[in-house]
Amino acid sequence: MRRLNKKSLYQCLAFLVPLLTFFSPSWISLVGVGPRWAELWLLPWALEEGPFSGAFSGFLLGLILDSMNLGTTTNIPALIFLGYWWGRLGKADKFGDKFFVLGFLAWLGAFASGLSIWVQEIFLVNGSYMPLFNIWAFQTVLAGSIMTGIIAPILCSNIIRFFFTGKS
Amino acid sequence: MVPFRRKVAFRWLFQKSIWNWFFLSLFLIFVRFSKGSFLLDTFSFVSRPFWPGTAQRDWIMSGINLEQKIRLDLLEKDNRRLRNLLDLKVSSDKSLISAAVISRRPRDFWQQLELNKGSNHGISSGDAVLGPGGLLGFVETTTPITSRVRLLTAVGTNIGVWIKDKEIHAVLKGVGTHRTQLNFLEKNPDALPGDVVSTSPASTLFPPNLPVGVIQIVNNEHLPSPYAFVQLIASPAAIDWVQIRKVR
Repeated sequence: MRRLNKKSLYQCLAFLVPLLTFFSPSWISLVGVGPRWAELWLLPWALEEGPFSGAFSGFLLGLILDSMNLGTTTNIPALIFLGYWWGRLGKADKFGDKFFVLGFLAWLGAFASGLSIWVQEIFLVNGSYMPLFNIWAFQTVLAGSIMTGIIAPILCSNIIRFFFTGKS
Repeated sequence: MVPFRRKVAFRWLFQKSIWNWFFLSLFLIFVRFSKGSFLLDTFSFVSRPFWPGTAQRDWIMSGINLEQKIRLDLLEKDNRRLRNLLDLKVSSDKSLISAAVISRRPRDFWQQLELNKGSNHGISSGDAVLGPGGLLGFVETTTPITSRVRLLTAVGTNIGVWIKDKEIHAVLKGVGTHRTQLNFLEKNPDALPGDVVSTSPASTLFPPNLPVGVIQIVNNEHLPSPYAFVQLIASPAAIDWVQIRKVR
């Protein structure tokens, strides 16, 4: 019962994702790009709750993030894929104490979702794609994923320890 | 052991949690298609204690003074030119709305600002947004109490500008970096680094002669037409207050 309460508390904490994205505190950012909060929320959730729950929450988070941004590029496919993939991984193993693996998974996830947005901007939205091959887009992807990968080991392992352990 | 027999089809329809999640996703789809108006209003309400205070007023005033000097210079020249032409209508009412920046993301994929005033205060989409020093961007969407600004540096932003002194027209294009690209419309513009770029009087989007930026690099060899890089006068990364000018 306690574990269920903690789980629903963590579901409510998903509301922090758009707020933190809006705040984008400048003291946790690299060249002006902050970490990807949606991936940081999704990683422990998907690892503990399995692929389908992960993919569904990725879909919901993607809806929220898309409503906050200019333009028509979407986060949804990348987040659904990441939720599914992390859920599969979480079924096979426990990740609560594996700091480096958590960081690496978060880094890969943030890199993949940044890359998906870059690809959409190049091929679907912009049309003339030459300026988008400039280094700034790659820099944005890399900075966001590095920040996510730095924060994830501390944050996600504590989240797993606090919200997903205990009597069920 | 009697095998389990189904008495009711579609039993999952009677589970409460399925319907809860269904209505949650319906609600989020509504939020997504309204482009986050509900979310933005909530964020505005939550972050109200952290909005920038009036301490920046002096700093803003010095920026505005600089802007006024540049604008005065430009307006005098414009006046002289208009006396010769006598048929171009210059219409820009002086009503400026001040708003605080409650969220800024100048260096992400989406380069945007969120302001704490919206359609209740008379802001509508398409209005010009001025920082201390010059043009920053324009209002893309509004909610009753907030509005979202697309910065000039964002990819896909194109505005018509000109170099006032030399009467060179060009298109200012956001390329994602903190400098914008100026695509000239003619083969041999004699633009030099240091020239001040302002909005074009031929532009249908903005009032004429709002200062935008200063040319830093000119590439005259580029084909089909040369381009330059422009440093914006107003820096979106460090701005707490903006002014919104109604465009009609």
